[in-house]
Amino acid sequence: MNDAAPIFRAERVVKRFGGIRAVNGATMDVREGSITALIGPNGAGKTTFFNVITGFYKPDGGSATFDGKPTLGHPPYAIARLGMVRTFQITKALAAMPVIDNMMLAAPDQPGESLFGTIFRQPANRSREREVRNQAGELLEMFNLQALADSYAGTLSGGQRKLLELARALMTKPRFLLLDEPMAGINPTLGRRLLEHMERLRTEDGVTFLFVEHDMDVVMNHSDRVIVMAEGRVIAEGEPHEVRSNQAVIDAYLGAGLPAEANGDG
Amino acid sequence: MTGAPRTGMASVREWMSENPAWVALIVLALIALALIIGEGLQEFAQRSVNGIVSGSYIALGAIGLTLVYGILKLVNFAQGDMLTFGAYIAFLFDATLDMPLAVALVAGVLATAALGVAQELAMWRPMRAKKAGMLQLLLMALGLAFVLRYVIQFIWGTDPRSLDADVTSSISFLGLNIGETELIVVIISFVVLTAVATMLRVTSLGRQMRALADNFDLAETTGIDTGQVVLKTWLLAGGLAGLAGVLVVAATGSLTPNTGFYLLLPLFAAVVLGGIGNAYGALAGGLVIGLTQEWSTLVVESQWKVAVSFLVLIIVLIVRPQGIFGRERTL
Amino acid sequence: MIELPVAVTFDFLTAWDFWIAVGILAGIYGIFALGLQLNVGYTGVLNFGQAGFMAIGAYAAIIFVVDLGWSYWLALPASALLTIIVGLLIGLPSLRLRADYFAIATIAFSEIVRDVAQNARDLTGGNQGTINLELENDRFFTDPWFSTSDWIQENLLDPIGLSGQEFGDLPLFLVVWVTLGLLALGLHFLVRSPWGRVLRAVREDEDAARALGKNAFSYKLQSLAVAAVLGAISGWFLAFNLESVSQVAFEPLYTFLGFGALVLGGLASFGGVLVGSVLLWTLLEGFRFLDLPLAADKVSALRFIIVGVILILLMAFRPQGIFGKREEMVLGE
Repeated sequence: MNDAAPIFRAERVVKRFGGIRAVNGATMDVREGSITALIGPNGAGKTTFFNVITGFYKPDGGSATFDGKPTLGHPPYAIARLGMVRTFQITKALAAMPVIDNMMLAAPDQPGESLFGTIFRQPANRSREREVRNQAGELLEMFNLQALADSYAGTLSGGQRKLLELARALMTKPRFLLLDEPMAGINPTLGRRLLEHMERLRTEDGVTFLFVEHDMDVVMNHSDRVIVMAEGRVIAEGEPHEVRSNQAVIDAYLGAGLPAEANGDG
Repeated sequence: MTGAPRTGMASVREWMSENPAWVALIVLALIALALIIGEGLQEFAQRSVNGIVSGSYIALGAIGLTLVYGILKLVNFAQGDMLTFGAYIAFLFDATLDMPLAVALVAGVLATAALGVAQELAMWRPMRAKKAGMLQLLLMALGLAFVLRYVIQFIWGTDPRSLDADVTSSISFLGLNIGETELIVVIISFVVLTAVATMLRVTSLGRQMRALADNFDLAETTGIDTGQVVLKTWLLAGGLAGLAGVLVVAATGSLTPNTGFYLLLPLFAAVVLGGIGNAYGALAGGLVIGLTQEWSTLVVESQWKVAVSFLVLIIVLIVRPQGIFGRERTL
Repeated sequence: MIELPVAVTFDFLTAWDFWIAVGILAGIYGIFALGLQLNVGYTGVLNFGQAGFMAIGAYAAIIFVVDLGWSYWLALPASALLTIIVGLLIGLPSLRLRADYFAIATIAFSEIVRDVAQNARDLTGGNQGTINLELENDRFFTDPWFSTSDWIQENLLDPIGLSGQEFGDLPLFLVVWVTLGLLALGLHFLVRSPWGRVLRAVREDEDAARALGKNAFSYKLQSLAVAAVLGAISGWFLAFNLESVSQVAFEPLYTFLGFGALVLGGLASFGGVLVGSVLLWTLLEGFRFLDLPLAADKVSALRFIIVGVILILLMAFRPQGIFGKREEMVLGE
């Protein structure tokens, strides 16, 4: 895995808000089949960077490629269709729709999703619907949500919604999953389960993960690589233990306040 | 310090996005220049005078609309009809009760201010408490707009009315004409606009109102007594709407139940142009909309004035949706 | 004993032709409201300009038939195509906007359509409407329809005792309601399809839909285009009903009434739209039977005041309408 080619590459990405450069020339590689953590003090520009590379903000400079294809500045749905899919920090479960609809929505290549297809291509539409429904059922089982399939997503607990969001993202058969603070606001047990899922998906299906995280325990013990941002740029990149003892990283955090650390050194 | 390299084009664009007011001024100046060359200075200047007249009452209406935006989190559809309401109350005092026009004006202002407060207490405050969604609020505002319009129609009918204002005598200066009443309208507008702008800038209430209009939730967290400020904002917004309504009728000489509604689009264009939630923006936006609408009569028939507002609106929303003075909306 | 200031006559119970006329209006505006339903209830697109599409549909159909001499088979689809094109032209710049901004842009569109209808006298007959065109060309929009209508009356209705005298324009009523029923049924299945699922996701949370690879903008555009066609169809029937149209028929009032029907019946239910429309028009027209001590135009204004108040109260206390489900009401930001 150390020699794996980067599945995603960002070069000198810039994002301005008024006079402030929230992302000021960020450059990074994400290796295929890795679980990579994106960390940094508050205000480092991590979530802004996330939003720019996934198409939710318009970039003001730089470039990015996913799997060799240029993505920066492309609309979010196009990037998602390439296999680069994100989740949100505050979950976006479609509350007024049942869980099963949430799941089936996410499947790609549905002929019934076009107006023409849904009127004139009924046989193809129906068989794909069946396929999608089965796939959704399997994923729901994997995440232990199958009992809630017909409930409105709005009735799920916070933790269940996190799982739903991940399960739903998986329906898209992503190659690169970007998780924005997946551990935020959930209990440790659920957090461990999420991490187990992530590790299994990486190992068995070769899914690449990039996740923004503040919990150093998670970062140090569960990620393959760590990328550190501060003041809108990438200041360090490497394996967790390398990054932890990097002076620039320490300075950045000391300047902005120490995060929760796993061990006492560094 | 490393960062993305600044190419020539990129730095021009960066300057443009950081100095929107200058860009707007330059664009206006270029348009003005083109019109002067094309149609002559005299014509242009006359239309500009007309534009300042209409721009001043549009600005009055727009300020209220933008201030209320932060509270409602949407554009109040009923704003146009509040203008109409103020004008009809003034008509009531002026024509029916035969009071001096000045008294009628004050009555119109006070009545609309009261209407604003009543709206807040009876409708918007309870709905905020219920955490109502945008769709609900929008449809309620739509309902309110129609209730106001048809109550007015019920009481006064659809025949055009007018206020006891002199619409014929005019003043000439430098070869330009302005109606006496129009001049008074401009003077009153400018005095009030200056007073409001000063109040918003200098007083703590003004600062609080601006904070609320810009970002209600954030303002709440800073310990402002939002209930009080909200009520006073509605009072001000209502009063300004009433004043704008009276002044429109004084300047144009005609009042129907639809008068305010027909102004809703220019008001909205002014608000968006200036940056929604920004009172100074509404002021600037109002004047710009007034001017551009009148300038357009040099090149197209006057019935298309409203389409000009629409065009400006669409252009702003495509090129710089946050308007001249607004902040870019984040995710 | 309290004396009521209002006298109520009970003739209305047997005035069939009157109620058929009300039913026709309810049906026409039901089709109109189906478009609103799809946009507002299912896609989150606040189309406040539906009256504009109705106007284009009606005027275009009439102009094609009266001025250009086309048959219905050409004129009606052509007018539908025209409304789709206009819908796309409006939607392309405006649908990227926030919902309430888009609403105002559509109001503006609707008013501009009315403005054109009023001022382009050569094209539209100006303020008096298309009757001028019809008199000029000595050709009436409804002529071809009347032969069908008469056929229905003579061969289907008279034999079973439903005479035109007693029952009014029953043929038109039937055609409108059959069309309405088919359209409602079609839409009902459409929103349950995968296409409809994306639409509902877009309504709920556009960014979530985009993050899953759905082009939310395109779907909103499609929804608007479908609503435009529904507006056009309602415009055709309006033209059949009134025989000629003028810009007055497309005032913002009618979009407002469309929303009234929508809100009454429930924002996410096509069957509800039908019921809402019937209720609304019954309420509006039922006023004629109240012998109020008021002038006619005041009674007219009063009707709309009451509709407005009902709209406000429903939104405040039962936003899902009579038939809507609370969970499907998109509440909060």
